[in-house]
Amino acid sequence: MIKAFIKATDYFLPQRVMSNDELSALYPEWPPEKIMEKLGISKRHLASDDECSSDLAVGAAMKLFEKNICRPDEIDFILFCTQTPDFLLPTSACLIQHRLGIPASVGALDFNLGCSGYIYGLGLAKGLIETGQASNVLFLTGETYSKLLMPEDKGTRTLFGDAGTATLLTSSESDSDRIGPFVYGTDGKGGNHLIVSNGGARNPGLPRTSTGGLYMNGGEIFTFGVREVANAVETLMARTQTSRETIDLFIFHQANAYMLEFLRKKCRIPVHKFQICYADTGNTVSNTIPIALHHAITEGKIKSGNTVMLVGFGVGLSWGACLVRI
Amino acid sequence: MIAPHQFHRDLETVLELDQESIKGNETLDELYWDSMALVMFIAMADEKYSVVISPSKLAEAKSVADLLALVNQSA
Repeated sequence: MIKAFIKATDYFLPQRVMSNDELSALYPEWPPEKIMEKLGISKRHLASDDECSSDLAVGAAMKLFEKNICRPDEIDFILFCTQTPDFLLPTSACLIQHRLGIPASVGALDFNLGCSGYIYGLGLAKGLIETGQASNVLFLTGETYSKLLMPEDKGTRTLFGDAGTATLLTSSESDSDRIGPFVYGTDGKGGNHLIVSNGGARNPGLPRTSTGGLYMNGGEIFTFGVREVANAVETLMARTQTSRETIDLFIFHQANAYMLEFLRKKCRIPVHKFQICYADTGNTVSNTIPIALHHAITEGKIKSGNTVMLVGFGVGLSWGACLVRI
Repeated sequence: MIAPHQFHRDLETVLELDQESIKGNETLDELYWDSMALVMFIAMADEKYSVVISPSKLAEAKSVADLLALVNQSA
């Protein structure tokens, strides 16, 4: 049977860096050591004014091509997860096709999800490959939340960073799944807890203002995350008859140190099976899971045959979890 | 019911204040209450008291006494 699997991952960060010292100069009530201790973030990369999410995703995809992992003419589907597209239209994935020199026979689409997006993208790519619609899916994420943050909002400016990632999914003959099963969840009732209210058709003002920029109700997001992540982890383990012993590594959306440590304890996951990867990037939204997965693979924390649980949760409200066999 | 004395000591730990510094009549404005403190308070209530605090009710709290009342109502 044809099964989809993750063949390679890589990521790209903008050059500009904002340190905790710089943030503390703006918000003296949060000294650099407090940011590091509570959030675990030492710096975050920020896109320049003329750098967009597609640029970051293209930078990540180019790494796959430059390492000869695949050629542009082998790609037959592009998925691009972003909430900060270059334009309202056209679709960023279409522009990316042209920039990467991928043949016009490719299918391409954007989808709009945040911190749960990587799980949903894997689900879409698996569906495309295992129904024979595509053989090599280039699944990209790219986000420039920094362009949406309100200047006076120390909370979000401390947390979020920009990044782009590329994952190549391809087909293989196998008797067992290498991606999945999946658990999905959605609760639009909480949509107003993490929202950029300006810039869309309902409020066509500028997003980066003190009333229309990114608003996050930290208490609501924290409470939601704790409730749904614990449920999703338990549901997926029960459905797959796996356990904390048989899963080799858990990779959650890398929100921040405080939330992740709380979730780790809540889900009773041992420290050595819990991937931590945010110190040098901050919370990069849909990019955090593929960046953390990339480090886990390249640093030898997981190897061929290992089983990894991925869990994303955030804006929407939206969440998802899946198993991946490396 | 969480006793005021115990609650004040736990709140001091969360907010990284000197022990025995909270008397119970403080407003939150006096205690550097911010978005990070709010999240840490929700986490502490869950871990120490097994209580899920409603973030919207927490947003209405103005004083240490309000926090204690909220914890005890949620128990």
